[in-house]
Amino acid sequence: MKLGPKAAAAALVLSASLALTACGGGAGAGSNAGAAPTSLTLGTLRDITSWDPAQAHVGHALQPYQAAYDTLILREPDGKLSPMLATAWKYNDTNTKLTVDLRTDVTFSDGAKFDAAAAKANLDHFKKANGPQMAQLGSVSDIAVVDDDTIDINLSAEEPALEYFLSQAAGLMGSPQSLGTDAIKTLPVGSGPYVMDKAASVKDSQTVFTARDGYWNKDLQKYKKLTLKILTDPTARTNALVSGQVDATLLDPKNGKQAEGAKMKLEANQVDWSGLLLLDREGTKNPALANVKVRQAINHAFDRKTILEQVMLGQGTPTSQPFGKDSGAWTEELENYYSYDPAKAKQLLKESGFEGNVTIDVPTLPGAETLISVLQQQLADVGITLKPGAAITNTFTADVAAQKYHALFFNLFQGEPTVAIDQIVSTKALYNPFKNTTPELEAKIQAVRTGGKDAGKLAQDVNKYVVEQAWFAPLFRVNQMYYHNDKVNVTPQAQQAVPSIYNYSPAK
Amino acid sequence: MIKFIAKRLGSGLVVLFVVSALTFTLLYTSSGSIARNILGDQATPEQVALKEQELGLDQPLVTRYFAWLADALSGNLGASWFTSEPVASSLATRIPVTMTMVFTAMILIAICAALIGVAAAVKRGWVDRVVQVGAIVGDSIPGYVIGVFLVTLLAIQLGFFPATSTISPEVGPEAWVYSMTLPVIALLINGVTGGAQQIRSAVIKQLERDYVRTLRSRGIGEREILFKHVLRSAAPAGLTVLSLQLIGMLGGVVIIEQIFALPGMGPLAVTATGQSDLPVVMGVVMYTVVVVIVVNLLVDILNGWLNPKVRVS
Repeated sequence: MKLGPKAAAAALVLSASLALTACGGGAGAGSNAGAAPTSLTLGTLRDITSWDPAQAHVGHALQPYQAAYDTLILREPDGKLSPMLATAWKYNDTNTKLTVDLRTDVTFSDGAKFDAAAAKANLDHFKKANGPQMAQLGSVSDIAVVDDDTIDINLSAEEPALEYFLSQAAGLMGSPQSLGTDAIKTLPVGSGPYVMDKAASVKDSQTVFTARDGYWNKDLQKYKKLTLKILTDPTARTNALVSGQVDATLLDPKNGKQAEGAKMKLEANQVDWSGLLLLDREGTKNPALANVKVRQAINHAFDRKTILEQVMLGQGTPTSQPFGKDSGAWTEELENYYSYDPAKAKQLLKESGFEGNVTIDVPTLPGAETLISVLQQQLADVGITLKPGAAITNTFTADVAAQKYHALFFNLFQGEPTVAIDQIVSTKALYNPFKNTTPELEAKIQAVRTGGKDAGKLAQDVNKYVVEQAWFAPLFRVNQMYYHNDKVNVTPQAQQAVPSIYNYSPAK
Repeated sequence: MIKFIAKRLGSGLVVLFVVSALTFTLLYTSSGSIARNILGDQATPEQVALKEQELGLDQPLVTRYFAWLADALSGNLGASWFTSEPVASSLATRIPVTMTMVFTAMILIAICAALIGVAAAVKRGWVDRVVQVGAIVGDSIPGYVIGVFLVTLLAIQLGFFPATSTISPEVGPEAWVYSMTLPVIALLINGVTGGAQQIRSAVIKQLERDYVRTLRSRGIGEREILFKHVLRSAAPAGLTVLSLQLIGMLGGVVIIEQIFALPGMGPLAVTATGQSDLPVVMGVVMYTVVVVIVVNLLVDILNGWLNPKVRVS
């Protein structure tokens, strides 16, 4: 039989459609996840490296641990600290000892009882396990068991963020027998609302949890089954969300448009700031940066609002300060401290004596090429040369510490006052590689460290100092775009791009 | 034949050794700062120093390489610096995913490309023109674009397939089939169009040879000429194209696995390389080299079997 072109084309179309229909027999086989209100499927950015609670990280890297482990203190969505495994906690008069009362009715998933000895074992383990957040207990000298349900956390120096840390990685409590073993690296043993179903979990693909029978706090256990699907690629996350494979996930402005087209709901939350870090403030490698007027001129050169609208599709808020709104250090007066004023920038450059003689090298941040070229253009308009160099690599943190960069464009987390200070301001901070400081600044930092409950307010002075001295050229606080479908209610969590695991509930 | 295989295996081992030494040396320079990457940006210098010691990063290159080689020869590829997961077990869970996909695609490519290529060469006319145009179109659209298109149409709009992989022990083998269908189609379209074009040329070249004319003049049927003589002579060219496609596919599959969130070698390779997770990168490189060596060997053996001329030379 000889087929003409038309007949052959028709046969091809027919066979293709038959093949599709055949395959379509199982339509939606993979999209049943999340259909029942008793199960929740979340798209997460990466698998965790170890289930040892001492290896937990911050933000989206904390969420999986919250499924399996309880923390001593619960951090509410607005940042307020509430009882969890700890029922009450109190500092002594000098803020050097925190006495913590503990629950007595909690057991771990291996049957072991949670008590003061277990809490001490966890905190001791955290201090020596060299996890990414080990610094959280850096100022803790020792932990003493007072009685079965009370511990004293003794401090070598005041740490206003200690209570916050006990709601984060440092507060995760695992079964004492499992701590430090190889087994806990692949299977968590905690007292949390869910237990991991190892048989259904696949490394780097999905982690499945089931609700733990007899969990002590039913309010925090809203689902029978929880699946964390690891979707590294943002396009894959978007596809999984709009096709109903996951109920909620983190996207970016570009993919967010597609999710919005599919009627997904957005919970925007500001966690990071984006801008230039002018690191070489003593001019060790770039003399111009030692001049405060040059640094201020850089700040005045940027039209933050327009850049935000054009490059970031409006997803954020222009700002001149590096401290975040939830930290307590944020102030209204610093928000637009550096207005877009090219004339003033030029004037400042003239006064500095560096007019026409300022060149700033920055490494290229992958994904921010467009933004950096806009900054380059706006700086050129006032007579400053911005030279983007090679892209940052996996040696980035080591390169920063080794003073390789005298300035850089980056996105940074806006943490609690002492966290932020030790990230970008103090001489311990990675992002202060040239160890710049002044006695005035040291005094302000010290005031925050010993400020106890007033730490946030006292950090306003640190914030004001670094803004006035133009240590940075912040551009905006970036919106984290967390999308979810209508089967789940999601409450954003302060200072986290991804909500805590307790913030999800079935939609009525 | 045995001598031939032994010789090939021997040279394969030399390649394996050289590639491992080169990769290790290249990674060595950037692995000095790994401790900091593992610990994050809030780690103190003391923490970093402790971690470096823990990972043996304070040792010189030669010591570290031979320690790795000794372990590797005894079957121990080490453990990931970031996750502590043994490299051998990472590879064991991921290789089946990638290999299922690559080999399914390859078998389909071989069948489809051969059928289409031979049809184009024998029929010429409009069939040939369609194949030619198809080759240009197929070559100009990258696999990942096809992947994104397939997801949008068949997974998101029509819901026939899952948009991302649903491979997990809790679902049956049919989930494998559903999860693999779109990635395999995305992988094979370029292969089929490119392969068909090459096979077409090879067959046409053979059909124009003198021996075909002689066979025809002796009254031997076209079918016999094609299947008994022409295809045998055209096979080496086809096999070479297919083996090159398979090796190229090991690269292409990386992006396809990312798009479909398949837990195969691709994401492992990308993550490990980005982090300079040296033990894992070494594992991935060793796997790739072994696949390339084995594929080349198989192609040589097949060629020899199909075409005695190759064996003699």
